[in-house]
Amino acid sequence: MTALVFPALAFPAPRRALGLALLLAVGVFALLGPLHGLDPLRQDLSATLLPPGSAGHPLGTDHLGRDLLARLAHAARLSLGSALATALVAAVAGTLLGLLAALRGGLAERGLLALADAVQAVPALLLVLLFAAFAPGGFLALYLGLSLTLWVEFFRLARSAALSVLARPQVEAARLLGFGTGHILRRHLWPEVAPVVLTLFAFAAGTAVTSISALAFIGVALRPPTPEWGGMMTELLPFYAEAPLALLMPAGLIFLTVLGLHLLAGKEQAA
Amino acid sequence: MLHRRDFLAGLAGLAALGHGRGALAQAGTSAGAGAAIFRVVTPYEINGLDPVRSGFVFTRLQIAETLLGADDGGRPVPQLATAWSLSEDRLRWRFTLRPAARFHDGTPVTATAVAACLERARALPGVLINAPIARITAEEDTVVIQTTRPFASMPAFVAHSSTMILAPAAFEGETVRAILGTGPYRVAEMVLPQRVDAVRFEGWDGPAPAVERLSYLAAGRGETRGTMAESGQAEMVCQLAPETVDRLRRNPRVQVVVQAIPRTRLIKLNCGSPLFSDARARRALSLALDRAGMARALLRSAPSAATQLFPASMAEWHVPSLAPLERNLEEARRLLGELGWQPGAEGILAREGRPFRFTLRTFSDRPELPVLATAMQSQLREIGVDMQIAIVNSGEIPAGHQDGTLEAALLARNFALVPDPLGTLLLDFGPKGGDWGAMNWSSPELVAVMEKLGGTADPAERAALRGRAATILHEEMPVIPVSWFDQSTAISRRVAHLTVDPLELSYRIAGARWAS
Amino acid sequence: MRALSPLLRLLGGRLAQAGLVALLVGSACFLMVRTLPGDMAYRIAASRYGYDLVDTAAARAVHAELGLDRPWYVQLAGWFGDLARLDLGTSLASGEKVLEKLGIELGHTLLLAGVALALSALIGLPLGALAGLRAGSALDRAALVGAAALRAVPSFVLGVGLMILLAAEWNLLPAGGVGEWEEVILPALTLALGLAAASSRVTRDAVAAVVASPFFGFARAKGLGDGLAFRRHGVRNAAIPVVSYLTLQMVLLVEGVVVVEALFAWPGIGHALVHAVLGRDIPVVQGAALVMGLLFVLLNTAADLACWSLDPRRRA
Repeated sequence: MTALVFPALAFPAPRRALGLALLLAVGVFALLGPLHGLDPLRQDLSATLLPPGSAGHPLGTDHLGRDLLARLAHAARLSLGSALATALVAAVAGTLLGLLAALRGGLAERGLLALADAVQAVPALLLVLLFAAFAPGGFLALYLGLSLTLWVEFFRLARSAALSVLARPQVEAARLLGFGTGHILRRHLWPEVAPVVLTLFAFAAGTAVTSISALAFIGVALRPPTPEWGGMMTELLPFYAEAPLALLMPAGLIFLTVLGLHLLAGKEQAA
Repeated sequence: MLHRRDFLAGLAGLAALGHGRGALAQAGTSAGAGAAIFRVVTPYEINGLDPVRSGFVFTRLQIAETLLGADDGGRPVPQLATAWSLSEDRLRWRFTLRPAARFHDGTPVTATAVAACLERARALPGVLINAPIARITAEEDTVVIQTTRPFASMPAFVAHSSTMILAPAAFEGETVRAILGTGPYRVAEMVLPQRVDAVRFEGWDGPAPAVERLSYLAAGRGETRGTMAESGQAEMVCQLAPETVDRLRRNPRVQVVVQAIPRTRLIKLNCGSPLFSDARARRALSLALDRAGMARALLRSAPSAATQLFPASMAEWHVPSLAPLERNLEEARRLLGELGWQPGAEGILAREGRPFRFTLRTFSDRPELPVLATAMQSQLREIGVDMQIAIVNSGEIPAGHQDGTLEAALLARNFALVPDPLGTLLLDFGPKGGDWGAMNWSSPELVAVMEKLGGTADPAERAALRGRAATILHEEMPVIPVSWFDQSTAISRRVAHLTVDPLELSYRIAGARWAS
Repeated sequence: MRALSPLLRLLGGRLAQAGLVALLVGSACFLMVRTLPGDMAYRIAASRYGYDLVDTAAARAVHAELGLDRPWYVQLAGWFGDLARLDLGTSLASGEKVLEKLGIELGHTLLLAGVALALSALIGLPLGALAGLRAGSALDRAALVGAAALRAVPSFVLGVGLMILLAAEWNLLPAGGVGEWEEVILPALTLALGLAAASSRVTRDAVAAVVASPFFGFARAKGLGDGLAFRRHGVRNAAIPVVSYLTLQMVLLVEGVVVVEALFAWPGIGHALVHAVLGRDIPVVQGAALVMGLLFVLLNTAADLACWSLDPRRRA
């Protein structure tokens, strides 16, 4: 459930443009897909599991005869929105605490480290399951639970990056010259920490989507009939033989999103 | 495939990790080692050893036995008891035990041991607790059950898996520590909650089964079971998902047996709610359901669309003359209009400013239930009814029944919980309703009919009473029938003479043979 | 002796962490599960007797049997007392001893995880090293796209895909079950592909960093070939981040097995934890969380020790 750290890659310059293009494509799909006018909830039991290219259903239909294009596009909003929000909450909280620990040191740092150790040792799955059980069918509690498991990595990464920056001679010089914490944060820390945090963020967001689908698979995070990428894959799994494309379409969108975020955010990182 | 065990023994380190205890000790020492294994795959995990919890696994595998069994029609047949009789006053049931029967630890089966086992079952939640039993005693080779009032369904109750008989040595205090049954197979190895291996019991007093070894595996996912059937990795795969049935029918390696069983998927309604207190409102919801569409597209079996509560396969209870349940949106709207419901905001019906909105609870232990609920949500929306779905732990349905918070629930009810459906009906439609049956609804006439049934032996009179009970439930509709059950089982062509039990009491492996 | 004292400090720190975990997991699980919505006795009765038999009588029996009326602090104190004696209680749902049950299930999970890790190392490490030695090449980019694709596909979709291919189509491996050695391969492979996706990237970066470093350039300038230079000077340096990462993976793995265990009918600890949370089986929830938490600490300690022995600088 924890985000996997993909250290950034040395892709040539156009990779950012490529990443941006991928994300824009997914974004345009989320915005324009619904304009094609079909209701993502409208069922037709006489037209189930139609293949892509069927009349009136460019991407086909699911097991209840609902239009897949409409569902994927509507799901994009919820999945992207909530995944980004989850990752954002974790990133902001984790990074701030990490910087705080690095700057303050002492008791605050040791306390936060112990907390991070302890949270990380509690199975993330347990935390998410408990949050999910608190609010059956509620996505908010679920994403909050996920954030709670994701912040630790941001914390550790931000702290270690900040520590290495703070140890540099030019930072010590800036301190001696009387520059405040704000200046050091802006001029020295942020430029170093931001790319690392952004890379992690890309994968935390992807992890949030796939984690939700895993939870849906074990019967926790389903709330019919709301379309959501992870939940759609769970719903369509039994029909893997009849409609393999329908099952792979949400996965394809997650893939494009993760890859796009990664290409956009990544920068050479000292591992 | 045959010598995996030897290989396993070689990999001692890994195997010890994988099995905890047990596997190595058993490897190669089992009776009949080397014989072909009959592999059964079902969705049911083995949740502990207590007969109340998982007795059904051991009775179905014919490892343990109950006093009586039942044939396909639900009529009692001998099992551990060879004969049974009822006294003149109809209060004393006598069950004569099979004289040569032995427990798997080699000790002979005594009436005292059997009576003690039944007494224990009676104290635990199960079915026996619901029977009017006064006393269970042992008299020589006979077990005597004394009831407080005439109770015609007793033979059906002692056929339930929670009443299976284990040897005294199986118990440690009140806890079951081993499965020492009396059946033709005995346990060789267990990996809870997933697997049981069994071998032929040499002390079995009947004809030796042709199949020497069997292995039971619980695989919760339909996809996994489907693949195992498809690739010939199991001799018998139970509870096939509807999606896999068509594909398996085209597979030359297996035979697919589809059989109607006495189970119905139904909507339980809180009839105390102002939404559903009028029978017309309940009928309107029923008229909105597209049963045929769901049966065809989701259950992949057109005949499983329910036309009344009891499936056609329950010949004694099914009443062919009842008007079949059908979809009629006009009539549904008319009925709701009669009750004062008018179209309101966003097309949702409203009455006195309150929308027609409720939450339906269902659970995913049966994977088709959430899908059916989603389909019905959209169908009800067409008549302006807003149904929300909550997927919960199955325990929250009876809990909601008790604390009154339940509005509606979609569930699957087994009428052959004991082979005589009356046992289930008494639980569900008694004067106070039932956790899995009516809620805040009762019919004095139905209660009277069921009481009469319990004490009547005359076949003609019983048939008339059953018909009356089915008719009352059809007209009043305290629960809305949705679909009947088709049980699909895949059986390998390697196996011959294997029939599928419609009452799910036994896998009948002891009667099977290997195809030559 | 001088080398030993940082080691002792390291071990002492990990021991303290273990204690903290036990305390935190125990009380947090207990409090959270206690305050969850839904009647606990019904949930327990449902997992104990199944949906055909769970009813009010069953729930009442559960309620009385478990003493759910006792104040929460009495129940919690009882649990910690038992824990101190290494008695994790009995499962509310099945009546089995939690320690015995978890021991067996943990064994299954570790077997699965171990095989998965070995497979992922076989797939991920060579691929990552190759990509790292040729950073920026077509192979490098293809490996990235492949890794992102594997991460985007949830493990149950991957698992079903492998099942169709290897079990149904080619009939090479059994689709489910436990006990025979072939049965571990398919679930382990499902896990391993996801793991290899990540570990190949970490390896690639570590290798790329080594290749770009001055000492490696010097080794090559000495006239050693690429391969030899890497074997002599690169492996040890590249191994440090990879080892720390692999142990982190192990923990993710133990949790990631939940889905795979459910799919392949594998009776492991993740499977048990899900059932226990859904069924309110507190002793099992606590026991499983505790075992997994302590495992995390143990693996971290192992990683510390591995890095300590790989990197002489840390012993100073």
